[in-house]
Amino acid sequence: MNIAVLMKQVPVSNDVSVDPETHALIRSSSEGMINPADLNAIEAALQLKEQTDGKAVVFTMGPQGTQKALIEAMGIGCDESVLITDRCFAGGDTIATAKVLARGIKKYGEFDLILSGALSADGATGQVGAMVAEYMDAPYVGEIQGIKYDETDAEHVVAIKKYQDQEYHIKTELTAVMSVCFGSNEPRFATLRSMRKAKTKPLHVYTNEELQMAAEDIGLSGSPTIVTDSFEPENERRAEMFTGTPQEMAAKLKELIDNEKGKE
Amino acid sequence: MANGICIFAEYYNGKIEPVTAELITAAHFIKETTGEKIQLIVVAKDCDQLVKQLEPAGADEVYAVETKRDCIFQDDALSSVITDMIRKIEPSSVLIPATPMGRSIFSRVASKLGCGLTADCTEVLTAKREDGTFYIKQNKPSFGENVFVTIETKPGIYPQMMTIRQGVYTAYEGETDAVKVTYLENIEIPASKLEVVEVVPARNDTNSILASETVVVGGRGAEEEEDFALLKAFAEKLDAAIGGTRPLADSGKIPFQNQIGQTGFTIRPRICISIGVSGAIQHTEGIKDTKLFVAINTDENAAIFNVADYGIVGDMKELLEAYLS
Ligand SMILES: Cc1cc2nc3c(=O)[nH]c(=O)nc-3n(C[C@H](O)[C@H](O)[C@H](O)COP(=O)(O)OP(=O)(O)OC[C@H]3O[C@@H](n4cnc5c(N)ncnc54)[C@H](O)[C@@H]3O)c2cc1C
Ligand SMILES: Nc1ncnc2c1ncn2[C@@H]1O[C@H](COP(=O)(O)O)[C@@H](O)[C@H]1O
Repeated sequence: MNIAVLMKQVPVSNDVSVDPETHALIRSSSEGMINPADLNAIEAALQLKEQTDGKAVVFTMGPQGTQKALIEAMGIGCDESVLITDRCFAGGDTIATAKVLARGIKKYGEFDLILSGALSADGATGQVGAMVAEYMDAPYVGEIQGIKYDETDAEHVVAIKKYQDQEYHIKTELTAVMSVCFGSNEPRFATLRSMRKAKTKPLHVYTNEELQMAAEDIGLSGSPTIVTDSFEPENERRAEMFTGTPQEMAAKLKELIDNEKGKE
Repeated sequence: MANGICIFAEYYNGKIEPVTAELITAAHFIKETTGEKIQLIVVAKDCDQLVKQLEPAGADEVYAVETKRDCIFQDDALSSVITDMIRKIEPSSVLIPATPMGRSIFSRVASKLGCGLTADCTEVLTAKREDGTFYIKQNKPSFGENVFVTIETKPGIYPQMMTIRQGVYTAYEGETDAVKVTYLENIEIPASKLEVVEVVPARNDTNSILASETVVVGGRGAEEEEDFALLKAFAEKLDAAIGGTRPLADSGKIPFQNQIGQTGFTIRPRICISIGVSGAIQHTEGIKDTKLFVAINTDENAAIFNVADYGIVGDMKELLEAYLS
């Protein structure tokens, strides 16, 4: 089974503030890492690839520096990677991002399965995977815990999805797109040796030269939504402080808890 | 001309989800300015009884499509039906609960309509453009909760579509005037490439911090053997699940599955008691929608007091001992 994994490099820290004059975001650090949920998507892909003797190709759309994260993904076990990078792709919302990713995947070739993370640490929309599915005209199961594959039925896989208090097993025709929940498996690590090997694995670079997308489909102009303002959150509610002896405060705590528990 | 505030009425097991009433409140705020109708949409096999639940909910119109089969999780088919409905209704905005179902179906709907989908709004505000048309300022947290951004749908693009976080608007309780119910008849539900083949009760192994109404959260201030034993006894008394900060997961005091925060899990308990936690944003962004949030910390300047409802400055040991005796 051939599997594409969508991976995003995210900042190590979400510690940002807003410049009061320019309203520009000030980041405390520019260091990047693989989005945590994408590590679970990679792990799910590697397990299936090993079971079915296929390959896993990791895709990212981002600036040039994102190569590092792709090489790490190959160090973890992905076979090849694709960096989709062009200034004209920058600034896109989820629609514009998903269009470019879908085009990149199609450009590479046929896949049986496309996996993304359920949520990115910075964008945090949980939408990109589902939108890619729409542009690939493929079925989508979001926020899954695992995937079952049975050799006797190579046309389908079964996605395992926790919803409310149930576990739904959803049989899906291939090619399918799924988003994998953070913490749903235990991602393996890259070793020094596997990282050395990763540097020799194929890393393809697609710019718009290769993808040939129209200006109205990409970047800012391809985005139906725009960010028009940013602001610091209002000073968060400040706790009402208890006073008194530990005994008095414990009694007050008990009263609050009992009161809340007593409500429907 | 696009007109109307449409709301996706999500349901599960034959019951309309409570978040629908919250979105109706949000829609009434928009209606106050724009005067548009509030329109609920529902797609289901047993449609009638869901429509009955929606009639008194506080909207002006209900649009329903009855499907021949149960189509839970068939997003390919559902998104096609809903896209057709929206094309017929032509609303100027669509409000969707920011739930797994809302995200997943409407990401596809937005792609089909080419209209964009703003995720996880915590506030929707109406504003007026120079040409006199109204638009919605879609405010949402970004980068964890460190910064808020305003997102707008570009002029001329309709509907303005957004998911709204649960728990930020209170459920609508106002009067309902006459509701107009319309069954849209000639919308076909296409075949789906998805089929639910089995449903089993979810294993509740590590799920407890996600499912529990009450969660006691421990940080490094409760890490000592004796202190943690006290915390456990306290949690037991409250019938609470135990979660913790990353240092506690790193040292093995709690399993990784019980780590709360950016690189852990997001909990939405009704009651959260936080003990010996400094309140780093990477941790606190994992605690949402609490009704009662109390923090206990020896340091009166701890950041946790900026997010908790109530604060207790003191040694957790003395406090819990007093509580338990
Ligand atoms: C990219 C990134 C991701 C991260 N993800 C997470 C995450 O998912 N979850 C997470 O939790 N952290 C995460 N962290 C770490 C986070 O920044 C903090 O370091 C961590 O949350 C601090 O844990 P703590 O509050 O237990 O410990 P500390 O910061 O050491 O705080 C301990 C607190 O206990 C108080 N205290 C001490 N003794 C007592 C006593 N006897 N009684 C009462 N109070 C007492 C102290 O005053 C202090 O405020 C992340 C960090 C980064 C950079
Ligand atoms: N620029 C990108 N390149 C590759 N994958 C992405 C990109 N943005 C989002 N994704 C994928 O979509 C998932 C959900 O992202 P988001 O919609 O931002 O929460 C991520 O976990 C990634 O798997």
